[in-house]
Amino acid sequence: MNILAWKNLFHDRVRLIVTLTGIVFALVLIAVQFGMFLGFLDTSANIVAHNEADLWITAPGIPHVNGGSPILEKKRWQAMQAEGVEKVVEYAVFFVNWKLPNGAFESSQIVGFDVDSRIGGPWDIVEGDVDDLRGEDTVIVDALYKKKLGVEKIGDSFELNGKRTRVVGFTRGIRSFTTAPYVFTSMKNAKTYIRLREDETIFLLVKTKGDPRDVQARLRKIVPGVEVFTNAELLERTQAYWVFGTGAGTTTLMGAILGLLVGIVVVAQTIYAATIDHLKEFGTLKAMGATNGMIYRVILMQAALAAVMGYALGITIALAVVNATSNTDLLIKLPAEAAAGIFVMTLLMCMSASLLSIRKATTIDPAMVFRG
Amino acid sequence: MIEIRNLVKTYGSGENMVRALNGVSMDVRAGEVLALMGPSGSGKTTLVSILGGILTATSGSVKIDGREITTLGASELPALRREQFGFVFQGFNLFPALTALENVAIMCDLKNVREPKARAAELLEMVGLGAKKKAHPSDLSGGQKQRVAIARALVGDPKIILADEPTAALDSVSGRTVLEILSGLARTRGRAVVIVTHDPRVLEYCDRIVHIEDGRVGSEELRRVEEQVA
Repeated sequence: MNILAWKNLFHDRVRLIVTLTGIVFALVLIAVQFGMFLGFLDTSANIVAHNEADLWITAPGIPHVNGGSPILEKKRWQAMQAEGVEKVVEYAVFFVNWKLPNGAFESSQIVGFDVDSRIGGPWDIVEGDVDDLRGEDTVIVDALYKKKLGVEKIGDSFELNGKRTRVVGFTRGIRSFTTAPYVFTSMKNAKTYIRLREDETIFLLVKTKGDPRDVQARLRKIVPGVEVFTNAELLERTQAYWVFGTGAGTTTLMGAILGLLVGIVVVAQTIYAATIDHLKEFGTLKAMGATNGMIYRVILMQAALAAVMGYALGITIALAVVNATSNTDLLIKLPAEAAAGIFVMTLLMCMSASLLSIRKATTIDPAMVFRG
Repeated sequence: MIEIRNLVKTYGSGENMVRALNGVSMDVRAGEVLALMGPSGSGKTTLVSILGGILTATSGSVKIDGREITTLGASELPALRREQFGFVFQGFNLFPALTALENVAIMCDLKNVREPKARAAELLEMVGLGAKKKAHPSDLSGGQKQRVAIARALVGDPKIILADEPTAALDSVSGRTVLEILSGLARTRGRAVVIVTHDPRVLEYCDRIVHIEDGRVGSEELRRVEEQVA
């Protein structure tokens, strides 16, 4: 019976093309929108996700990692008193103006970190070295933002918040969710750019020896006037703010759901039309002894074959889109797990689209074969 | 082989009730070709549909080799049709997307026949279409299509062949070829062949003709008596 599903599908090439177009359109829409959603999750909190700190000490009530405000550096010494604390270092993420060679300003985000411990420092460095940040007025930027920041090569000089700075290295792929690229520098330099007082910091990063939850509880008791987050808590808070709080994530998810609905409607319509065209054949099969279950299998097999072909085409296009955006500041992520999930969803979409057809098939009267 | 007694089939109810069959009784024997004749609307197709387990009777009895089939449930009828019957339709009812071989093989698949393609090829050879195995229905003449349909009906070696106007769409040469194959099945392989027809060409191949009029058996005519006696 499988051959009937296969041949019926290929017999009408135009219908097959329409069906596959529907599936591919839906699938690319789902994959790209969902990939953007995953990209948003990634870029919105990559500074936290790549951070080796176990705990973050912040000013009270910060909405996300990019919204920190100064706290006194002396709290570092208070934190060091807590049992289970291995190391506490200063850290900063703060918006500052980057002056372009033409005199215009671009918004950027200074990431100041402790160069000795390297906690919270840049990753995926493609040119230069973290140690180059030990020098005064030095920064590392991401190669994806060269054009935006007017940077061409190592050694180029700019102004950050009115202070001279020099590019000493490049990372590749550290994107920012906002329009302000990350600019990595030493904490010492960062204080100058952000214009923090010497006794101020934005965050304190804590490495622990024991269970971070236990240390978190102790820090909350002995360090007053601050909030203490685990890395996971701050990650979640930051993602929730940027991805859902701004509506960006909801929009992309809605796009993916829309793609799914469009796919179901298009595929349902074409599979239903194909079933109507083959009603006499299904009636013949029933008259000759096929059960309803056998007819369903033919219809479902058609849907599954269409799904597999549509997926092969659609995922190829989606991966091409992902590849085409790899060198832009828009991150679209399509990991193997997501691709596998989309395959299952495509199958389910096509199967559910064939339910109308199955319902129609149950009403076929086999006596129709004697009506000419 | 088949015993039909007081078979009644009604459609609708009350004033709108129509009696398509009104107490039909008759027998069909193994090895005979029986023609069901009668004007349009007389009940021939209803009779053959109930006989083939496609329609359910309102009342009466149909026994195949002593087994009552009118009491079978909807879930049992498909198996009955697969095991006992081969169907040949006026409009051939072949699957246009499949080749001749695949059209026959799909029935082998349906009836769980081993090596479906080999068996389908044998049956196509038997109806003289061995050379047309790879042809699609659109590439075959009406007579050739009907021979593919007969090959399909023979899958699983059913005891009863039900043919609905098998020659209606065929020219005289193709019609005779088809009738020779169907009557040959009865004579040489002991199958019961029931043909619903208006076509007078069918008569010379029949052993008996049953005339159905207004849902009843109007008359019964024995043919080929000399041959039967001989």
